[in-house]
Amino acid sequence: MVVGDVTTAVDVLVLGAGPGGYVAAIRAAQLGRHVTLIDQGLPGGTCLHQGCIPLKALLSASERYQQTRSEDLASIGIHAEKVSFDWASMQVWKQSIVDRLAEGVQRLISSNRVEYVHGSGWFMNPQEVRVEGEHGSLRFKFEHCIIATGADAAPLSDLPYDGKQILTPEQALMMPELPEALSIIGDDYIALELATLFAPLGVKVRLYSPGEQLLYGVEPAALRLVQAGLRKLGVQITTKAALESIAERPVVISQGVCPRTTGLHLAAVGVAVNSNGGIIVNTMQQSNVSQIFAIGDCTGGRALASIAMKQAKVAAEVLSGHRVQFAPLVTPFVVHTTPELATVGYSAEEATKAGYNIVTGRFPLAANGRALTLGTDNGVVLLVANADDGTLLGATLVGPRAGDLIGQVALAIEMGATLTDLSEILYAHPGLSETILEAADGALGRAVHMLAKV
Amino acid sequence: MQEFKLPDLGEGMQEAEVVEWLVKPGDTLKLDQTMVKVETDKAVVEIPSPVAGRVSEIRVQDGQVAKVGDVLVVFENATSANGGSSTPLQSFTTVPAASQSANAPSPTPLAQTPTTKQRVLAAPAVRKLAFELGIDLEQLTPSNPNGRISIEDVRSYAERDRVSSKLPASLVPVGHEEAVQPASQAPSTIIQKIEQTVTPAQDERQPLKGLRKRIAEHMERSWRTIPHATAFDEVDGGELAALRETLKPIAEKRGVRLTYIPLLIRLLIPLLKEFPIFNASLDEERHEIIYKRSYHIGVATASPEGLLVPVLRNADRLTLLEIANSLEQLIEGAKKRTLSLPEVSGSTFTLNNVGSFGGSTGTPIINYPEVAILAVGRLQDKAIVQQGTVIVRPMMPLTLTFDHRLIDGAMAGAFLARFKELVENPQQLMLDMT
Repeated sequence: MVVGDVTTAVDVLVLGAGPGGYVAAIRAAQLGRHVTLIDQGLPGGTCLHQGCIPLKALLSASERYQQTRSEDLASIGIHAEKVSFDWASMQVWKQSIVDRLAEGVQRLISSNRVEYVHGSGWFMNPQEVRVEGEHGSLRFKFEHCIIATGADAAPLSDLPYDGKQILTPEQALMMPELPEALSIIGDDYIALELATLFAPLGVKVRLYSPGEQLLYGVEPAALRLVQAGLRKLGVQITTKAALESIAERPVVISQGVCPRTTGLHLAAVGVAVNSNGGIIVNTMQQSNVSQIFAIGDCTGGRALASIAMKQAKVAAEVLSGHRVQFAPLVTPFVVHTTPELATVGYSAEEATKAGYNIVTGRFPLAANGRALTLGTDNGVVLLVANADDGTLLGATLVGPRAGDLIGQVALAIEMGATLTDLSEILYAHPGLSETILEAADGALGRAVHMLAKV
Repeated sequence: MQEFKLPDLGEGMQEAEVVEWLVKPGDTLKLDQTMVKVETDKAVVEIPSPVAGRVSEIRVQDGQVAKVGDVLVVFENATSANGGSSTPLQSFTTVPAASQSANAPSPTPLAQTPTTKQRVLAAPAVRKLAFELGIDLEQLTPSNPNGRISIEDVRSYAERDRVSSKLPASLVPVGHEEAVQPASQAPSTIIQKIEQTVTPAQDERQPLKGLRKRIAEHMERSWRTIPHATAFDEVDGGELAALRETLKPIAEKRGVRLTYIPLLIRLLIPLLKEFPIFNASLDEERHEIIYKRSYHIGVATASPEGLLVPVLRNADRLTLLEIANSLEQLIEGAKKRTLSLPEVSGSTFTLNNVGSFGGSTGTPIINYPEVAILAVGRLQDKAIVQQGTVIVRPMMPLTLTFDHRLIDGAMAGAFLARFKELVENPQQLMLDMT
């Protein structure tokens, strides 16, 4: 169809429908803006379709299988015989979760009267974007634009991705068949989660960390438990690995991500990017071109959906005339290993480096009733607080549901709560959250369920 | 080195003006020696030195306003009550002392080294508001010392910021340059010559401060908030005068000087119970009328520095003699400015004896957040007509100003009529005597 170039005028154009983009679109629409959302695929982005959700679904399947195989079951009095799994069915189950969530997002988008256009866009000038899609080429003139194009897996120069033998984490999750062995290069949470997923399914997993330590910055005491957990699953860990010498295939590389900004023609409209290609923004998510905003992974910050979703709301509100900024004090961070790890705020070392005079509290899960009834004693709670006024600065949790429990500490830190605040409130008993209470009491020198260090 | 911060002075006072420092840097103080007078909205308070030591620096000068938690003064070699100089006292912050030791050649004063890091304690919603209002939370002192910054703190800081950013323009002295023109440019008219030879009279400008400032703020708030309406009447004070004449010598024997005010207060109590809306206030935020169940009567009193309203608390539970006695002490205290906070705050209805200020009557401004104020004028013999005959009676003018949001003219009229009835038949007091 050859027609003249028709320009459609919109209030807000959002490029990318991941957790950042669709949230920004909905928030802007809530504020009365006329919004068009552009994405090649379905709304939900990497997080929903290729990343977090598929990974967590498969992890959960793998963990449940692992639990039924374990000799531990026999000690509880359960005899599971002939438990088996089927990778293809796991994939189907995973996909059903993804589809269900995607449908929900789609419904939210259309109920909020957000126009959804399939295609990929690039800037023609600081006011216009051309979108190339299945319905041909469209031209949009916008008042404000939010770039939320996300990021791609960063390649290793010696080992370019080929989708078969050298895989991105997303590709690893979509392998049609499980390999006998899988090598994983990386030291981040994705590498650890992939190892935790595949090892219990009978895959011989080798984990290669380029550096000395996995999960840089995490408290050593917590890290030891996570590493021991990986070894227990049969994961072989090699640190300070010479990556170029890794000849095993298939190999998955998780070396962080690169902002997906190259095809946008940002230079042509003068939007400044950093050396990594990340769009430079202020705390109000505004780029140096005032009507163009950027949020989430494409800004080159930590690639976490939680950050993208908050930045999305900030951008949508700012361009609707509100004065708000993205300024959380702390970012909850979760690694779905076995045992699970979650951190928020400063580690003891970071807090000291930042100039705080600190006091710490520690409580092992082995002394928590609920943890034992869940069949685990493997975990710890570490709290860091300011010694001068008792305000919480950080926490590291290892153990079941750590990723959910961390929310309580995150709120405490954001509110400026003190160890005494944590110590004064009630915790359901028996419960895992009691470990936070005990660690706080420990820091205050009055833990009951643990002997004080002499 | 120890810092002394303005402590919480009670009654929710957030700030105080330093009236006068009784000490200066370099002075050596004894423990509990009076060092500074500060004035809050309500009273002048003397603050004793919490330590023995030398004053190294005064941070808030005479006439300046300090917020609770602001550092007023810094001490050197301070020794607290329990003798240990290292024990931090309440409302004290111990800061690293400058190294005085001779064999420690430290050219940079250590006192400037920051103490260990502290973060600004403010909940996410507070930080959001601060950003919205463009406020740097580091600049803000929380209203509760060492505590979290509240939404209220941010709002009031923003308000003050807004007000003070307007101030400089109006405080710049003007007028001088405009009047004196260079001779070469002056046209040779007589008027211009006069202007050149006669120095123009300079207006005197004085800062609005202290009690005057509080009165100004209070009056402005009342006038801006409350739609004032006023009802006038006149009452025959003959019976009241007779009653006073009878009781006065008896009261004097018991050491009390009986004026008209205690009698009028005693008469007001049953009236306020009968018309509870006059002993109420309006909660503007929640749109609720608060009917007060206590009867704290404010009595407008002149002091050398301005109007004060000492409060006779629980006047309904006091005998006439007790009222007279307390009132005498309160008025004396107001004149000397020695009243404590509860004695100058919390009134539920105010009586204003305009007669005592001279003049026969006046229209008072309501003592916010009350809803009415009654002014009584001077008793004067007047010719009035009674049953077709002109007679002479001692008449007392009454002025009732009321908050028209809650009280209408008819209600005010009824209130005044009932008050007249009571004043004209003061024996009724006996009926309600407690």
